Amino acid sequence: MTDAAEYLDKHQGERPWLSVARDRPPEVQRVFAALDQGGGHAHIRHEGWVTEEMNERRVRNLHDPAQLDPAKRAAGIDGLAPGDKPHRCGSIVTRITSSDAFAVALAKGAEHQDVRAALGTEFRERRVPAPVVLPIAGILGRDGHRFCSGWQLEPVDGSMRTARNLRDAWASARAGPEPKTHRVETFDGGTATFIFGPNRARDGYEIVTMYVNPPEGPAGQQGRDAR
Amino acid sequence: MNEAYWARKPRPPFATLIAVAATYCHPEAYDGAYQDLIDRARSAEPGDEEIRVFRHELREALADPSRLPNDELFKAVDYGDGTDQAFLRRLWRDLYGDEP
Repeated sequence: MTDAAEYLDKHQGERPWLSVARDRPPEVQRVFAALDQGGGHAHIRHEGWVTEEMNERRVRNLHDPAQLDPAKRAAGIDGLAPGDKPHRCGSIVTRITSSDAFAVALAKGAEHQDVRAALGTEFRERRVPAPVVLPIAGILGRDGHRFCSGWQLEPVDGSMRTARNLRDAWASARAGPEPKTHRVETFDGGTATFIFGPNRARDGYEIVTMYVNPPEGPAGQQGRDAR
Repeated sequence: MNEAYWARKPRPPFATLIAVAATYCHPEAYDGAYQDLIDRARSAEPGDEEIRVFRHELREALADPSRLPNDELFKAVDYGDGTDQAFLRRLWRDLYGDEP
């Protein structure tokens, strides 16, 4: 048994997002074990252990998949941030539905020169490299988009900005008309965003999260609006 | 190829403003990112060229939000303020207070 397998065995009880990697190849297990020991959340909120329903409830009601207490999840409390903070979420939520594809995307992305450059940046307090956005096809192959899934808010009066604003207002009050959502039509031609932050030792940078995005245009992020 | 707006060549308008906002203000940013930006902006080191350009571009965007490239700010930040202008105003207020 590898160190990664031992880590997954030991922690999957209290960290259920690790269970999807338990029976996968050692390379996949290593990615999950490494991510879980860092400060990132890509494997917790943007991967296959999150069901379609959990993902949809995240963007509609700010139910955080990382929050394991049902009452706190229903109240929109973040599952990872200390101090019972409200969960944050944009107008769209996405995930890679296969643990193997997720591990490949993460590993291939981490090899990209711009991601390597970001991770190799000399650490300075409060300074962080900007996100890197890579084509899904470049990290998962031509059919990689088939492993991607997501939900987004239904635009209000043709505006995603308004929908996002009203969703947050609903989440604060937990009252009034509930936000509406729809499934992302396709990720063909889409991208993956790598976001960075300080590592736990605060002596370097790590990938805080990686998530996929649909392509621009009618088949992708519908409802994007002009100012 | 990095397809981020701010990575385009030649460098597009408001690239620093949008890159910094995406880095620190996006909902997926690391915990404490927004506070880090506030602290960095309020006590900017003399050699912090990025934050100097960011402040200049933020001021320019507030003066005339129509100069911002269409939808790029919202795409990069996914803010909940409703409009570019409301987001930029909040950002200026949180970072620089009442400074002109």
